[in-house]
Amino acid sequence: MPSASNPGPVITETIVVAPSAPVRPSWSKWVRITLLVVGAALVLAFPTIAPNPYILSAGVVILNYAVLSTGWNFMGGFTGYISLGHAAYFGLGAYGTALLIRNFALPSFLAWFVAALLVAIIAIPVGIAALRVRGASFVIVSIAFVLILLLVFQSWRDVTGGSEGLTVPRPFPDLLRPEHHRVFYYLFAALLAVALAVWWIIDRSKFGTALKSIREDEDKSQSLGVPTTQYKLIAYVLSAVFVSFGGGLYALWFGDLDPIFQFSILIGSYMVLMALLGGVRNLFGPLLGAVVVGSALEYFKLEFGDTQFHLIATGILLGVVVLFMPDGIIPAVKALFTRSSNQASIREVTAGELLEENRARSAETVPPRRPDASGEETP
Amino acid sequence: MNAQRDHGATAVDNLRTVDMTKTFGGVTAVDGASVQFQEGKVNGLIGPNGSGKTTFFNCVTGMIKPDSGSVLYRDKTITRQSPDRIARAGIGRSFQLCRVFPRMTVMENLLVAVRHTSIGRQLRSARDEEELERARGWLRRVGIDHLEHAEARNLSYGQQKLLELAGVLMGEPDTIMLDEPAGGVNPALIGRISTLVRELNAEGKTFIIVEHNMEMVMSLCDHVVVFDRGRPIAEGAPEIIQRDPRVLEAYLGV
Repeated sequence: MPSASNPGPVITETIVVAPSAPVRPSWSKWVRITLLVVGAALVLAFPTIAPNPYILSAGVVILNYAVLSTGWNFMGGFTGYISLGHAAYFGLGAYGTALLIRNFALPSFLAWFVAALLVAIIAIPVGIAALRVRGASFVIVSIAFVLILLLVFQSWRDVTGGSEGLTVPRPFPDLLRPEHHRVFYYLFAALLAVALAVWWIIDRSKFGTALKSIREDEDKSQSLGVPTTQYKLIAYVLSAVFVSFGGGLYALWFGDLDPIFQFSILIGSYMVLMALLGGVRNLFGPLLGAVVVGSALEYFKLEFGDTQFHLIATGILLGVVVLFMPDGIIPAVKALFTRSSNQASIREVTAGELLEENRARSAETVPPRRPDASGEETP
Repeated sequence: MNAQRDHGATAVDNLRTVDMTKTFGGVTAVDGASVQFQEGKVNGLIGPNGSGKTTFFNCVTGMIKPDSGSVLYRDKTITRQSPDRIARAGIGRSFQLCRVFPRMTVMENLLVAVRHTSIGRQLRSARDEEELERARGWLRRVGIDHLEHAEARNLSYGQQKLLELAGVLMGEPDTIMLDEPAGGVNPALIGRISTLVRELNAEGKTFIIVEHNMEMVMSLCDHVVVFDRGRPIAEGAPEIIQRDPRVLEAYLGV
């Protein structure tokens, strides 16, 4: 016990002197607005500036990936539960839409909605079961689910067409190919806009703060009153629904379904890769990731032809990102601009100083040790 | 969900366990413990290492489900309820090695606390002005309001302890359970935490504190329960506890 004459070893406390102003510089708001407007204009103008229908169809694929990855991010980004099996909902949305049109003669877009509704109903029990486990176990469970579905859709020939696949009636039979791509390009863009808007609303809401706390420390979050079980399930179902919408729209656009593609681990991995690449904590992270990975995939496919080289190239890309930008592109770029202006400075404060501060704060109550010792502690 | 939050009910115990038992494999961590904690008081829970204090804490707050026995909060059973329900019923807790949300700012750490789960409230902006003011109030109270925008992982251990306390207070609990509030912090900070506990207690909050720092326990607590081998062996005012031969035996390991 340090006494008044011998203060003992000087106990130091590292004090963070934080930036007292919000961490963003003042010009950041205008940069954001400009980027948003330019980005939206580019997306909307793309079909007009695309030189040929092939490039336009690549644009549709990229927007489709952006929808899937943003959908995945409702779960992965907010709660930190990494699902590698979200292709399950991509496939279910696609097959659901196709089968409802073929077998029940529903109008295309009604079938699309009903399929998403059915996926939501399926995702509830699956979510309840899968979310009982965390971390690596959750990843395995999510993969198991998509593999089971793959087997079912391959084997259940009478209904799904098995490995021969399933053709989906076209919603706009009179449109020519380029027009067809153009219409679906804008449909995917609209779907993406809805997904981004919902993500944004949740991100700034109290619900979103609670979800993010689950990502940080689930037990702690629960001890603060967050109903983690229910909130995780809501995020999971929302995520499944948006991925299902992405799958259904893909079915209507592409017109031909194959179980190996619809329920592949690869599609699920792309969603994760794109979101991680752009930054899972950011609204536009998955979109940016989809643009980068999607363009790269299409480019490598053109360059290397019908080989698996595009997969190797994508793998190298992922490796580079994980090495140099572990939080994704958006946070890395942001850090470049904010590093100089806002860094928390750290200084050491002695126990004596702290005691002094204490005394100032609570002059009316008696601290456990008489504070006159502190006068001798500071030379 | 709708916790009873009247401070008038002083006749009942704040928190009571009846014959609570928890076994891990072959080890009985809590062994038929029946304990009462008093409403409106600063209650202490002490005992040698491995005597089951933290397991007891975790059983009460729902983090672990007890094998048998029951937990009553203001005469209503909360046995086996989920930790979030128990928290919303009015029991806040801290963790033995302090736990905060490292990659959220100090302010965001406070905004996590959920008191009401209605959809309307949950979809409202987290940065509701009223909530921000309430959060700033608690940050000022524990003395880290200048760190509002800092990420929690950048705080020192002591500051994180204060942040954790502010986070618990943000849920406006009636009962606060602290697991070793003085563990690993310097004497000056212990002083600040003790002062806060006294003030909050004067404002009507009940405390249940697990602590090894005897100086703190004896100066702070109105009522002390001593645990040994998973069950209470003595309870009473701190002066009496200090002289109890059973307590001395448990601590000195005769």
